[in-house]
Amino acid sequence: MIKWLIPALTASVVLGGCASVPRGSIPVVDSSSSVYGQQQAGAGDYGTSTAQPPQSQPQDSGVVVMVPGAGGSSAPIQTFPAPGSPIGGGVVGSEPFSTAPVISEPAGGGSSSVPPPSMPSGIPSSGGLAADEQLDGPVLALLTTAQQQQGSGDLNGAASSLERAQRIAPREPQVLYRLAEVRLAQGDAAQAEQFARRGLSYASGRPALQASLWNLIAQARERQGDSAGAAQARERAKVSL
Amino acid sequence: MRPWLGWAIKLGLVGLVVLAGFAVYLDAVVQEKFSGKRWTVPAKVYARPLELFVGQKLTKSDFLQELDALGYRRESAADGPGAVSVAGNNLELHTRGFQFYESREPSQRVRVRFSGDYVAGLSQANGSSLAVARLEPMLIGGLYPAHQEDRLLIKLEQVPPYLVETLVAIEDREFFNHFGVSPKSIARAVWVNATAGQVVQGGSTLTQQLVKNFYLTNERSLIRKATEAMMAVLLELHYDKQDILEAYLNEVFLGQDGQRAVHGFGLASQYFFSQPLSELKLEQVALLVGMVKGPTYYNPRRNPERALERRNLVLDVLVEQGVITLEQAVAAKQKPLGVTQRGSMADSSFPAFLDLVKRQLREDYREEDLTEEGLRIFTSFDPILQLKAESALADSLKRLAGRKGVELVEAGMVVTNPETGEVQVLIGSRQPRYAGFNRALDAVRPIGSLIKPAIYLAALERPSQYTLTSLLEDQPFSIKGQDGQVWSPQNYDRKAHGTVYLYQGLANSYNLSSAKLGLELGVPNVLKTLERLGVTRKWPAYPSMLLGAGALTPMEVADMYQTMANGGFNTPLRGIRSVLTAEGEPLKRYPYQIQQRFDAGAIYLLQNAMQRTMREGTGRSVYSRLPSSLALAGKTGTSNDSRDSWFAGFSQDLLAVVWLGRDDNGPTPLTGATGALQVWTDFMVKADPLPLDMPLPDNVVQAWVNATSGQGSDPSCPNAVQMPYIRGSEPVPGQACGIQAPVDSVMDWVRGWLD
Repeated sequence: MIKWLIPALTASVVLGGCASVPRGSIPVVDSSSSVYGQQQAGAGDYGTSTAQPPQSQPQDSGVVVMVPGAGGSSAPIQTFPAPGSPIGGGVVGSEPFSTAPVISEPAGGGSSSVPPPSMPSGIPSSGGLAADEQLDGPVLALLTTAQQQQGSGDLNGAASSLERAQRIAPREPQVLYRLAEVRLAQGDAAQAEQFARRGLSYASGRPALQASLWNLIAQARERQGDSAGAAQARERAKVSL
Repeated sequence: MRPWLGWAIKLGLVGLVVLAGFAVYLDAVVQEKFSGKRWTVPAKVYARPLELFVGQKLTKSDFLQELDALGYRRESAADGPGAVSVAGNNLELHTRGFQFYESREPSQRVRVRFSGDYVAGLSQANGSSLAVARLEPMLIGGLYPAHQEDRLLIKLEQVPPYLVETLVAIEDREFFNHFGVSPKSIARAVWVNATAGQVVQGGSTLTQQLVKNFYLTNERSLIRKATEAMMAVLLELHYDKQDILEAYLNEVFLGQDGQRAVHGFGLASQYFFSQPLSELKLEQVALLVGMVKGPTYYNPRRNPERALERRNLVLDVLVEQGVITLEQAVAAKQKPLGVTQRGSMADSSFPAFLDLVKRQLREDYREEDLTEEGLRIFTSFDPILQLKAESALADSLKRLAGRKGVELVEAGMVVTNPETGEVQVLIGSRQPRYAGFNRALDAVRPIGSLIKPAIYLAALERPSQYTLTSLLEDQPFSIKGQDGQVWSPQNYDRKAHGTVYLYQGLANSYNLSSAKLGLELGVPNVLKTLERLGVTRKWPAYPSMLLGAGALTPMEVADMYQTMANGGFNTPLRGIRSVLTAEGEPLKRYPYQIQQRFDAGAIYLLQNAMQRTMREGTGRSVYSRLPSSLALAGKTGTSNDSRDSWFAGFSQDLLAVVWLGRDDNGPTPLTGATGALQVWTDFMVKADPLPLDMPLPDNVVQAWVNATSGQGSDPSCPNAVQMPYIRGSEPVPGQACGIQAPVDSVMDWVRGWLD
């Protein structure tokens, strides 16, 4: 009589155990860890530097995009005088090299009915303001966001916000400068140098910004072990100012 | 008596134990699947989000097109997410909000004002300022596993009003009262079936339906039915009604889209209405719930009349059950079915671009991660530009259709933003909606004269030897190649053009002068330049390479020209921006990367020559359709016997490469100028790009030269034009011209080669 009790008891105990599984919120999708493992593997994507604090920010550069109140009192705010011409104010010399009538090329769109912003980057130009003073609207907002993200250690987020700004204003050297800064903080000195160089190509007539870009190049070269190149860049920074 | 009873009790108990064991097993099955990962979800691929800011180049009609594709409802007041009201050039919309890689875009009411082709005003609806806002990105496809089940998971709090009430009223009225099975429903079903003599009604509860779909096969047997009932009871034992309901809403099958099975109300809402589930109105809810009974039979796209009838029946039941009033039902019945033309998120819409995305992802992720983890892939795909490119291709081919053989011509096209290195458009076939051979990525074809900018760039990098006004001899010649064969290139028009300026050799695509220049520089040096431009294929250093015997894909050509368009900075072209997990956590970024490969001065001069190609050379037909104020640079390419018709060119913000040719490599009636350039021009007319405007590099000076002699001149002189030179390579400035301008030297007259 007792023998058959054993399996029955066991069954009921097991059943009871099953029944006592706590109900609760059920995860909709349990992402397996494999994807995260992939992230570790693909660390070339700065994935590994995410957690690092923004190391050795270029404190000495003094270049700070004008973000009102973003950096608190500690952030040196500096503006860069811009030349009278719009950003990257080079003139494309494409007058036909022939006796054909010279076609002038206004920077803005063609037909008269269009109210074109004179700058192709999508930044509205407003009268005779210098380029830096025009750093408002979307670009300023995104640079502010990026600064906050960088401040909280989210370098990937900062870089992503800066690339968003760069898509909106691809020829704004201050965006490229900040992108270079964040790349440097992420440990990618080679890309930092490249972005600073790209920034230089749009910083014509803005000596203070040029000097800061050269200083950033100097830092990036030092990180890459190129002290001679770094010294050269520092010289260029002095000449620019 | 006693032994018999003892045995009976023992046997009964053994049976009970067996049953208990089976229950334990079922219980484990139920819990294992329900508490773990319930579904595998394919990765979702999104287009770029449309950014809104003052000064943005965007027409109102393009904007409305995007809103339509996103399923925004045109209403008199934008009073809920996904609604837009239009009053002339003023729009007010309520965005839906979205989790992006770097931040969450809030759902907000936004006012947008258009002026011409630009966004002239942007603010929040309450008038406060708004610097920048993003729409949610369009879903353009997914990465499906072999069984191709697709769903968009939703939470119970995301369902619209009436969904739960309608579902319960139609499928399981006792749902909130029963314990998994409903004896009342079963009794009714038995009665109905018995009187009808066949199975016409099921007594299944929602829980049983869920169990059936979730754990069991489709077989119809009593054992399976019993198992289903047991499991339903067990499920109800462990989980509450809300959990079960949520699982049901995500599991239920609601339609078939080609190979893809549409599961759950979340995806069905997007698939049929292009709207998030939470925004659905009563009549839409009634339609979807009505479809549960037979998703194929009641498919509103295939069988709209049946679907409408079913929807209205559901509405009647709702009145009968007291869920809605008669007036509500009458109003809802007035509404059309409201399904979109075709699944706007069907994965067949933009196959060429999705192909690019998949290839990139497969380099970085395992197949299971892509098909099961619900990853969110953010790309740079621009649906507005894509549609413009598709219609440019179709229009051009229609116009060219008079030429014999054009019907056999296939196409590939790539559009990128040279300032960001992002791929925005990809066309892999002249029928861009059909997946198949992706010519943009896989058609490796001789590039013809598209190679020439590399020759001229190699020359312009040596300012002490070459300037844009250096003289080249465009004369026939023959050389013996390394393989012993004699190579005698010819011009396309079979004529020699005598002495020409260096830039003219490129602008007019003269083979003789270009090949000669390339030989002067050395074929290996030209190939080296090509490599620095981004071409990774290794070609033998034969002289015929100088005229484009080497073959590339349109995508590779885009990378090569990207370097010229972006001031000499090479960038690996990207289609993906970032990847988020199913929960919206950042997973991976594909950052913008650049590398300076050329001096900006040499690129500036090259761009100048390529602009002259468009003004006065082989590309000049563009200005019959585009304003002369629009500076563009580009190059035609035609391979032997017109087997390949190429054009690659760029503005400030758009770079486009077009290839036309036959898959069997047969001759076409098209040159680069008469074929691909026509598609390119058509695209640029529609896309309305920004004029090319490279800043003047520090080492470049503009000098005045005499157009006929190429000698230094002065702005006061007749025939004086400005030309860019690398500082130090410009001609000595000429004297100012007074009233008695010195007559040009006789020698210059005699040469007269310009004509």
